[in-house]
Amino acid sequence: MDTGGNFLPIIAALPFVGALIPGVMIRAGRTACATYTFMASALAFILLMLSAPAVFRGEVLQFQLEWLPMLGLNVNFMLDGLGLLFAGLILGIGMLIILYARFYLSREDPMGQFYTYLLLFQGAMVGIVLSDNILLLLVFWELTSLSSFLLIGYWKHLPEGRQGARMALTVTGLGGLAMIAGMLILGSIVGSYDLSVILQHKELIQASPYYLPALILILAGCFTKSAQFPFHFWLPHAMAAPTPVSAYLHSATMVKAGLFLMARMWPVLSGTPEWFYIVATTGLITMVLGAVIALFKDDLKALLAFSTVSHLGLITMLLGFGTEAAAIVAVFHILNHATFKAALFMSAGIVDHETHTRDIKRLGGLRHLMPVTFVIVTIAALSMAGIPPLNGFLSKEMMLEEASHTAWLSNPWILPALATLGALFSVAYSFRLVAHVFLGPKRDDYPAKPHDPAFGMWASPAFLVVLVVLIGLMPNLIAGPLVDITAAAVTGGHPHAHISHWHGLVPAFWMSVAAILGGALFLSLHGALERGWNAAPRPEAKVIFDAITRASTRASHWLTDTLHNGSITRYGAIFAAAITAAGLFAWFESPMSAPTREMLPINAIMAIGWVLLVISTGCIIAFHRNRILSLVLLGVIGLAVSMAFVYFSAPDLALTQISVEVVTIILLLLALNFLPGRTPVESGMPRRLRDAVIAGAAGLAVGGLTYAILLRDFAAESISAYHLANSYKGGGGKNVVNVILVDFRGFDTFGEIIVLGIAALVIYALTKSVLRGPGGRWLLNWGPDDDEAGDRHPLMMVVVTRVIMPIALMVGAYIFLRGHNAPGGGFIAGLIVAIALLMQYMASGFAWAEERQRYHYHAMIAAGVMTAAVTGMGSWLAGRQFLTSSYGYIHIPPIEEFEWATAMAFDTGVFITVVGAVMLALHSLSSMSRRTGEQVNIHPMDVDPGRGAAPADGKEA
Amino acid sequence: MFVEILISAGLVISGIFGIVGSFGLIKLPHPMMRLHAPTKATTLGVGGALIASMLYFGLIERDLSFHELMITVFLFLTAPITGHFIAKTHIHRNENKDSLPETGTARPWATFDHPQQEQEQPEQQS
Repeated sequence: MDTGGNFLPIIAALPFVGALIPGVMIRAGRTACATYTFMASALAFILLMLSAPAVFRGEVLQFQLEWLPMLGLNVNFMLDGLGLLFAGLILGIGMLIILYARFYLSREDPMGQFYTYLLLFQGAMVGIVLSDNILLLLVFWELTSLSSFLLIGYWKHLPEGRQGARMALTVTGLGGLAMIAGMLILGSIVGSYDLSVILQHKELIQASPYYLPALILILAGCFTKSAQFPFHFWLPHAMAAPTPVSAYLHSATMVKAGLFLMARMWPVLSGTPEWFYIVATTGLITMVLGAVIALFKDDLKALLAFSTVSHLGLITMLLGFGTEAAAIVAVFHILNHATFKAALFMSAGIVDHETHTRDIKRLGGLRHLMPVTFVIVTIAALSMAGIPPLNGFLSKEMMLEEASHTAWLSNPWILPALATLGALFSVAYSFRLVAHVFLGPKRDDYPAKPHDPAFGMWASPAFLVVLVVLIGLMPNLIAGPLVDITAAAVTGGHPHAHISHWHGLVPAFWMSVAAILGGALFLSLHGALERGWNAAPRPEAKVIFDAITRASTRASHWLTDTLHNGSITRYGAIFAAAITAAGLFAWFESPMSAPTREMLPINAIMAIGWVLLVISTGCIIAFHRNRILSLVLLGVIGLAVSMAFVYFSAPDLALTQISVEVVTIILLLLALNFLPGRTPVESGMPRRLRDAVIAGAAGLAVGGLTYAILLRDFAAESISAYHLANSYKGGGGKNVVNVILVDFRGFDTFGEIIVLGIAALVIYALTKSVLRGPGGRWLLNWGPDDDEAGDRHPLMMVVVTRVIMPIALMVGAYIFLRGHNAPGGGFIAGLIVAIALLMQYMASGFAWAEERQRYHYHAMIAAGVMTAAVTGMGSWLAGRQFLTSSYGYIHIPPIEEFEWATAMAFDTGVFITVVGAVMLALHSLSSMSRRTGEQVNIHPMDVDPGRGAAPADGKEA
Repeated sequence: MFVEILISAGLVISGIFGIVGSFGLIKLPHPMMRLHAPTKATTLGVGGALIASMLYFGLIERDLSFHELMITVFLFLTAPITGHFIAKTHIHRNENKDSLPETGTARPWATFDHPQQEQEQPEQQS
């Protein structure tokens, strides 16, 4: 069946889609939940297998979809041998883990959550190995960091789990950041972010001066992910995770993501001395160090974790050699390691599950009690030790073979010797695992009575062990083709693996023999060695890590607290200084062009406006401590600015400015009610002088900048011309501003009204929470002023606002209707109507007016946004894009002909949202003053001659 | 010619009362008196200009417009409110119950008529 690459996005998406299922299916029981999770993985696996034949024929399946082509970010997937191997491992072992976890997790653990995280992780991993675009790959890469964080910290109640998860996220996340930089460099060297393109440009990349930085950054990502020295420390701490997670993430898949990437980039990055010395050396150190530490770990999972570190080092070293033969071995060992190490982890979980301890010191003699587990562990451990004829032996022998003829700094002895040493320790800890846990006398102090678990639990490791044996016995038949195509994908050549058990009496054979004998010897001396090891001073990674995290947390705290100490003055100073500095930098860096425009003459009106503006600004500085006065002055400035808009023929802006001005001043007045009337003096003269200098400099700079801009034409051609030309033709409106708002940039406006609605809701929520907290109690005790004025709702005011109300609403409707062709529109109309309502509230008190209000403001905001959205979607019905508008004309006899446009319905949405938002803000503020005990009036006005609040002298008014 | 004289007269009256109003605002010694001065500017001052404008557009440009009437209406509606609130604030800040003359009814000056008293009347309508 030839499907091309069409299955690839489905394979990558299936786990993500499947991740939605467990959370729901857990209600149907744990088995149903596990079954459905399994099916998501199985389906993806089947699709992968359907795609496999083509890959075995040597094709590279591809799928391409442009996502953000301008960024070079495309949803490109490809499947070659390397991808097939990894995707197969991820999905295949994933299925086994799902089965195993069903029996491993206890009833108390939230299983649905576990499977959701697991599938998220699986999807991210599959995404990494199938990506043909390095940016897409990075997205998936970060997703694995996040989902593994969730998985490691799955047991939220355990501090080790939380700390381990944090450490893993910090290390791999930082590595991921470095890698992003490296990938971007790589992409900019080649000029494409598509992997298949990048892989064609080896010479270009290696000749680039940015090769080394890119290499180091990318390797930083790989090394952190694959737990290479010196970043190996997070892996053992991540073992606080449930064992299925350790088996899946930390042996078979996630830690191999770094290896995968090194293998993926091998064709372009390898082959240079830099690559060899960085990668091979790191791998070598990691291999030896991990193996040595593993021997002295008493925790079963810690032992396995360090052995994983060691094996990852081994594979890294092989990739670092940069030869085709070494790459074949690396690929082969990835496969082998995944099989035996996942089996070992799951067995360790079984031991933990049955005996309730993972401490090797407390175990021993389990072979009679848990025979099945014993067999599984023994075979897997022997494979790990490299005992013939198991698969671990094959790849380890080949590794030693490669190491034996690789010189390091032209010294032919170092590498083989250290590789043998690593192998020796590897043998020792593998033997120890079997000997100290299963062999020896039966004990009677196990924390729980051990016995073999149910079949479902040992089925998965048993299956893997069968693979271990089968690959060991018939490597060329079972693993050969897969290794061939994978190595072909890694090296870009056509290698053929010759896997055999007997190579003759080559150096590798003797190294192997030495390792096995030495390992056995070390195990017999383990007691003495351990005493020495425990006595020796060693750096403790967690302590160092914690110290570094603490130091950097402190540094960031210091920085943040210095910049943001809650004082508005400081924010203002930092902001102004930074902006001014940036502006000055730009000023000095690039010379300014000569002015291209003439100065306009100053006429009397302008001069008056200008003087007014300057005076009121100056007054604000002089009187800023009196808050009411400065608010009044602000109003003056606002009106002067609106007049300036009128003068420069921007009636829309002027209308908006005036109405916004009115609304803000009223709202601010209400808010001022809760503040002291005067701003206290809080800073001394020097500080005020400093602030004055900063503010003055910033003001002068902005003024100078404005002056410079006004005297010059725009550097680039302005888009205004387009708007002017197309406003009537395309949007059907003569009012360009309104057409821009509702049509050209309708989507922006849509976003803005949503923001406006959110802002109003936030004000509402803030007041609610303030009222509920200590602020509310403070308000309760605050009470009204002693000298509060009577007659709060004067007759004159009430009557006049009632008279004006219909007029104001009429004006609102008028402004709204004419909006498309003349100054006006939904936003301004909304403000005007809000002001009309505001006046009623001011006249008769908020609570009184609100009782007569039939719609909730929340609902109004929602209705407005929905109206706009539905209008926008309406254009889908006509087969056009979101928010495309159409228009026509309506003529109703007494009114002048006006235009009908879908944009109008959109504008209605804007209108309703604006009214709702303003009124909700007002409602929030007034609810604060009601909290202070302000009484709610029953009558619209306090003194009403018509009501007959009969004066005592009996005269009816 | 006659029309032009009328228009000019309107404008001149408007200017004179504008100046008088502004002058009074500066010169008058007491806030309550000062309240008095700008009313000249808002009524006769603006009114003169509006009349001139109506005459000009109606008789010379032959284009009768109601804008001026609207402006007048709004001025007449809003100016008293402003005056009322300024006076109210003034009384509230500078006077007390005793310094004011009797109202002649049982009720005190509205500004000192505290809402609590109003509230104590049992009212069950809503």
